[in-house]
Amino acid sequence: MRLKIAVCVALAVLLQTNLRLVWPPLVHLDLPLIVVTYFALRRDVVQALIVGFVAGLATDFFSKGLLGANGFSKTLIAYLIAALVTRVMLDNPLARIPVLAGAVALDAIIIVLLHRMLGQPSLVPFAETAAYKMIATTIAGTFIFYMFDIFFSDRARQRRHFAFRRRAARRSLVSRR
Amino acid sequence: MAVTRTQKEIRQRAPLWLLALLGVNLVLMSVSARDESGHKRLIQVWAQAVASPVQGLFSGATGAGTGFFQHLGSLNRAATENEDLKRRLAATETELREAQMARDENERLRGLLDFKEKSGYQTVTARVIARDPSEWFDSVMINRGSSSGIERDMPVVTHEGIVGRIIGVSPVTSQVLLITDERAAAGAVVGQLGASEAMGSVRGYGRNGLLDMRYVSGLETVKQGDLVVTTGQDSIYPAGLSVGQVVEFKQGSATSPHEIKVKPSARLNSLGEVAVLLYRPPPRTPPPAAPSPSNTDRERK
Repeated sequence: MRLKIAVCVALAVLLQTNLRLVWPPLVHLDLPLIVVTYFALRRDVVQALIVGFVAGLATDFFSKGLLGANGFSKTLIAYLIAALVTRVMLDNPLARIPVLAGAVALDAIIIVLLHRMLGQPSLVPFAETAAYKMIATTIAGTFIFYMFDIFFSDRARQRRHFAFRRRAARRSLVSRR
Repeated sequence: MAVTRTQKEIRQRAPLWLLALLGVNLVLMSVSARDESGHKRLIQVWAQAVASPVQGLFSGATGAGTGFFQHLGSLNRAATENEDLKRRLAATETELREAQMARDENERLRGLLDFKEKSGYQTVTARVIARDPSEWFDSVMINRGSSSGIERDMPVVTHEGIVGRIIGVSPVTSQVLLITDERAAAGAVVGQLGASEAMGSVRGYGRNGLLDMRYVSGLETVKQGDLVVTTGQDSIYPAGLSVGQVVEFKQGSATSPHEIKVKPSARLNSLGEVAVLLYRPPPRTPPPAAPSPSNTDRERK
């Protein structure tokens, strides 16, 4: 499972670095944030924190901005979502949409604030960039969440587990004959 | 020894994890913000160097994907452009065809005008409006009739040669029997009128759009490619109009005429405009009466 998560994070970061090459408007997508939000919604706080930290820091390595700004923001967002999901039922497709949109907005705000606080050149135009990012990431994230559900959801895990047991039972029947 | 922690413990330790991770990030940020010697860039460069093989693979894959989609996009654009060009080509071809038709019509009309000026005959220019639907007859309908002065048996020509004769007239239309019909005929001579004695009669051959020239003496010299013109002795066509060109020729003898096939000069399969000659052949004068014997005797006396 951890390997799968690591592969997901690595894929998200590497894809993010190549999105602009595929089609320039895809730069508004934030794939690492989608991955962080998804794993934060799975009620495992520590796992969410680590995913947020690694994804954010990996993004920073390939970014021109402050090293650690994305790490800080994504770690914080992961924690906030993971904390929220233990109190509010957010594990349905409709509720995920505002969570993802809020995560994108918060991410943009935190990064801009961090840059300002640390005396870095201001990131403008903030509102326009944040709006595009929110729209693109929320739309893409909704579909990506569906895809992740196929691999990571409890139901999918159960399905795989039962399939394995069925195969094992069949094999034992064949060997008895 | 594995340490197993309950969910509650994990949850309780989560803020500590958070603080630790945020602290690491803050330290990195502060170092990065204060960095003037380029250490931060160094970290990033090294990180990118480590990731570069994988990133290269990704870049290649995405590049190939992008190339594929760009190729698809360009194919789509090419298809659209192709359709557009096809439409434009069709429009241009239509315009060109119309221009060619107008030019051809202009040439034909100019030819008819020249013919009218050169021949000195009064003509009525008419347009072919229909062809005989039956395969048994070679006739056309023109858009001029008796109201334009057209009468039966008037010759119809183009500037290239004779077409046929009027066989039916209504006030506004006339029917023309083409020279290629088996029931049509005209007096004609091979070669120059007045210089050649290879005279005969042309009539429709019934196939291939050719004319059959008959009764040309086998002693006359005829060659393939010779021109055939009207003699004016048939009481329909005036003399000197082009009939066609000898295309097939079988030598005759002193006792048998030549067998000659003539290709009409006028393009009868693509008739557009024709001229009806308002021509009336000169009335035939009866041969002078033979003198009676009584008169002869009187004259002798």
